[in-house]
Amino acid sequence: MNDMQGVTVPAEAEPESAFAFEGSWREYLPIALTNLLLIVVTLGIYRFWAKARERRYLWSRTRFIDDTLEWTGTGKEMFIGFVVVMLVLGPLFFGLRLLVEALTIRGQGGAVALVALVSYGIFFYLIGIAQFRAIRYRLSRSFWHGIRGGSSDGGWSYGYQYLWKTIAGGLVLGLLIPWKMASLWNDRWNKMSFGQHPIEAGASWEGLMGRWLLIYLVPVAGLILSVVAGGMLFAAASVGSGGSPAAVMGAVFVAVIGFYLLFLIASLSYYAAYYRQMVEATSWGGLDFVFTARTRDWLKLIFGSIGLIIVTLGVGFLFVGYRNWSFAVRHLEATGEIDLDTLLQSQTAAPREAEGFADAFDIGAF
Amino acid sequence: MSVPGWLYDGSSAVRREVEVRSAAGGGLDIHFADGSADHVPREALCHMETRRDGDVYGRSDLPGWRLGLAGTAEEIEGLLPRRQKYGRWIDRAGLVPSILIALAISAAVLFGANRLPILLAPYVPASWEKKFGDALVGDFGGRFCTGAAGQAALRKLARELSPDADRLNIRVVHVPMVNAAALPGGNIVIFDKLLAEASGPDAVAGVLAHEMGHVQERHVTQAMIREFGVSALISVLGGTAGSGIDTLDSLHYSRGAEAQADGDAIVTLRRAGISPAPTADFFHRLADQEKIFGRADAALGYVSTHPLTADREARFRAGAVKGAAYKPSLSAEEWAALAGICRDGH
Repeated sequence: MNDMQGVTVPAEAEPESAFAFEGSWREYLPIALTNLLLIVVTLGIYRFWAKARERRYLWSRTRFIDDTLEWTGTGKEMFIGFVVVMLVLGPLFFGLRLLVEALTIRGQGGAVALVALVSYGIFFYLIGIAQFRAIRYRLSRSFWHGIRGGSSDGGWSYGYQYLWKTIAGGLVLGLLIPWKMASLWNDRWNKMSFGQHPIEAGASWEGLMGRWLLIYLVPVAGLILSVVAGGMLFAAASVGSGGSPAAVMGAVFVAVIGFYLLFLIASLSYYAAYYRQMVEATSWGGLDFVFTARTRDWLKLIFGSIGLIIVTLGVGFLFVGYRNWSFAVRHLEATGEIDLDTLLQSQTAAPREAEGFADAFDIGAF
Repeated sequence: MSVPGWLYDGSSAVRREVEVRSAAGGGLDIHFADGSADHVPREALCHMETRRDGDVYGRSDLPGWRLGLAGTAEEIEGLLPRRQKYGRWIDRAGLVPSILIALAISAAVLFGANRLPILLAPYVPASWEKKFGDALVGDFGGRFCTGAAGQAALRKLARELSPDADRLNIRVVHVPMVNAAALPGGNIVIFDKLLAEASGPDAVAGVLAHEMGHVQERHVTQAMIREFGVSALISVLGGTAGSGIDTLDSLHYSRGAEAQADGDAIVTLRRAGISPAPTADFFHRLADQEKIFGRADAALGYVSTHPLTADREARFRAGAVKGAAYKPSLSAEEWAALAGICRDGH
């Protein structure tokens, strides 16, 4: 029995990846539909159990090397996490709101600004903690080979890092945002672990600047384009060959859509590079990871989801989470070798609370 | 008889092939390939998930311990815990009964949420509401109009209408809108443009009597409770704590509450010997203006917070008793002072 168990990840040249998504939409459809039905008839309360069911399915259809993942989080704990956070945040928001209203009625502009500033500071700090705890919670409820992940850190110092790096990143016209994002990626992932092995992230922000600056170019390019288009329309109108109001409206419409499209493409090209670079700099227990999604893959994901929602008259929104997960898994690869004999259970404390904070701020974890 | 399966012990990642048999004293016996065996009490077993190739069970006392059984495992089926699907309560009751029960509860909750503010409002101590209202309103950003003669006229008008008028804080505020509002804590504000639009003191008396009706019936308290409840409910449904409340903007009352305040106002006017007809005329003029400028016109705030219906005007019109000896609610000098309350000092 005690043969050494070790699994080698297939080399990159082989077509098979260490990660595979084996779900099917036919299997998922009954889950999505009953979830929707139960959410509606319970006035939304069931959404925590719906989330747990969705994850249990997605995780169970995600194969990593030789076995599938398993989600053990429950709707009940997510519901309780939410209620606890609401009991804490609800009065805080309510009190701040009343304070701002009372000060506004009295015309205390300076005090309103001060209260707003302090509130934003608190909220950024809490958002950082929320993001950290959401990852910690998800790792602690994700099992593979009976082993789970987690963190022995409470995320308090990460909240502080998040606060000051967000402020610093926003200075100088937001030029330091790539630095902030890469730096925070390392800050949070270096505190996580799976089994007894720590997750290690050493991502740098070098090489991201080009694509980040591209986003700044879009408004400039848009301005030039609209000036050129305006000039052409004006010329056409003065020659008398066109320039009807309909044509002008059409041109404006095309210009606006084009602008948003360019902006989306520029942003996605940055995000694609960001995620490739971050994942590549992240390793765990002798395995290195690669994320292969390029800008066009992201575009396909987003326009595929939009198209699906339109074609199905809205029902397709049930599959957005499914599509996002399968996208992430399909583009994730790992290289190296993991020794199962020496992979032991995580000694981190499994948090009792779920991702109530992240839920409250409506933010994702990764 | 034994069923083949696999097992993770929850402390190492090693997967072991096992044979599972039903134990003599209940529970399962698990036999490993090396001849060793383990016993799992039945009550510790729980169903974790259903995979394509079978079910996976865990132990409530050993996190990470997993037993996978291929196929149906018929021989030990009776020893295995129920599969979970939708969640414990729903699995127990069945999907369709659960949906019906949930629908009934949801309907009751929505009905209760609608009735609750009305039931709770009488139990909110007036002193709490006063403190809350004063903290909220303060000095209205220094927009209270301070004309002494005008304030005296307003106080006289209020006393004509109600013996409790001195407990209310009735003020004219310098905001260029035709509006009036009852705010928490017995604060009633009349926006100064309403004084300009009203043809005389009797229409102002009608509007004031209506707002006093809201205070009297504790509609303000109900609206506060409703606002708080609705924002809590929205955050449960929507999940974002950011979707908050606009206490002042959203003190809208239900149609029923408006009708109740109108009824109170007509009774109040009758008792005070003031004709409700000028108020009806005032509503008529506002309705005409609304037709021209639209409800969204900011200067016509009264129309958006107090929807004008032909019904309302008709009620005030019918409230006027033919041949009754109505007296003007204020003298010409007093009315001039009230109309000009914002001119001096502000």
